[in-house]
Amino acid sequence: MMNLASILVLPLLLVAIPFYGLIRRVPVYEEFVLGAREGFEIAVRIIPFLIAILFAIGMFRASGALDAMLNLLGPGLTAIGVPPDLLPIAVMRPLSGSGSLGLLADLVNQHGADSLVVKMAGTLFGSTETTFYVLAVYFGAVGIRRTRYAVHVGLIADASAAITAVIVSHLLFT
Amino acid sequence: MNYIWGGLIITSALFALFSDLGAELGNRYRNGERHELRITPITQPQPASADVVQLTIPGHSDAISARMAAKSEPPVLQLLPDQPVPAHWRTIAGLLPDLGAGGLNLTVVAGPDDQGRVQVTLPEVHWVRMQAITQAAFDMAEFAVKLAIGLIGLMGLWLGMMKIAEASGLVAHLVRWVQPALRYIFPDIPRDHPALGAISLNLAANMLGMGNAATPMGIKAMHELSRLNEGTDQASDSMCMFLALNTSSVQLIPPITLLALLGAQAGGLFFSILITTSVSTLVAFVSARWFARRWRAKGQ
Repeated sequence: MMNLASILVLPLLLVAIPFYGLIRRVPVYEEFVLGAREGFEIAVRIIPFLIAILFAIGMFRASGALDAMLNLLGPGLTAIGVPPDLLPIAVMRPLSGSGSLGLLADLVNQHGADSLVVKMAGTLFGSTETTFYVLAVYFGAVGIRRTRYAVHVGLIADASAAITAVIVSHLLFT
Repeated sequence: MNYIWGGLIITSALFALFSDLGAELGNRYRNGERHELRITPITQPQPASADVVQLTIPGHSDAISARMAAKSEPPVLQLLPDQPVPAHWRTIAGLLPDLGAGGLNLTVVAGPDDQGRVQVTLPEVHWVRMQAITQAAFDMAEFAVKLAIGLIGLMGLWLGMMKIAEASGLVAHLVRWVQPALRYIFPDIPRDHPALGAISLNLAANMLGMGNAATPMGIKAMHELSRLNEGTDQASDSMCMFLALNTSSVQLIPPITLLALLGAQAGGLFFSILITTSVSTLVAFVSARWFARRWRAKGQ
């Protein structure tokens, strides 16, 4: 039902916007080209921001620091009802979309799509965004270098999503 | 942000350094260790070059196929790809960056004798983490550019559409509709400002799971907010709030990637995702408000 909505909405928008423009006697072609030109400029403008963020995250992933952290925290987490396997995704989710998706795929392979830990991880994956990527793209597009408290808020929201995902999964699936 | 970014890099480098130092001092990868195995068929005095031979390892049940490169000095046994090798061998193979599709190369240090017994050593592995983080840094820098270039097409398409919607008055209509709700979340945006239209389109696209339309509209919204901010390079409260709503994600539909991975199971997560994302969005909203007040009080 919801999927149908998203399948139909996009083509409808692509047709309805120029159609409405024509009715209102807007030079639609000329306006479109004017807007589309910004796409290139913006993409080029965000490159330095993306390089800065992605290279730091790439180094962190490759260093293996994450695995070491998990070995330390694992036993404590199990005691409070958090599967240790969930933590890599929770930490990776704000850093890297493809990285956290890869971890989720690993979990599905290990535990099966039916397991509690996969449901927790899937809930977590589906309910937050790649914070650092969104920040680099959105702030980069308008040249914001001093980000003030934006990262703090994003990470607090990510942490709350992880905690909620664990609690909700326990309530709904066990 | 400066501390988080710098912290990521320094943590990675320090961790990689200590992990590699530990590996070197404790010889974790058993460099130079000799492994004894048996070659069949035995052809004397030496197997002809490029012949495929079977290797059997004491204490390991599966036979392994390899190609004998007898011409090289010392002779090399080149494992064929995807062989059922012992766990330690697999670890070493995983650490070697330039292996490609081929298998491990074993250096023959002794033999084969008349019963086909040989002694081999695995390739030596040193400083893997340090090499890995350098490689990752280079790869990701390249990937960042590819990612940005890949955005150009969709960005152009949706920004073109947005321009038509603006010129035809659609955005102004929308602003009048959503104004009451959005002005509560973004008190700093003046009445009837086009930023409200772009923000509402971005949030709507996010809710419906239309990520590729949401990003260009979000950037459009940031542009409008930046104009309100007189184009400085410091984020305004509205920008931080808008980013908070976007990073905490307001989607009602599980993302397509999740559907692809979990199949029908993803549908079962509908309610748990809805609850979780609502909580995190609420937390994002409240904490953005709280930080805004605190930073304003500090005069920053």
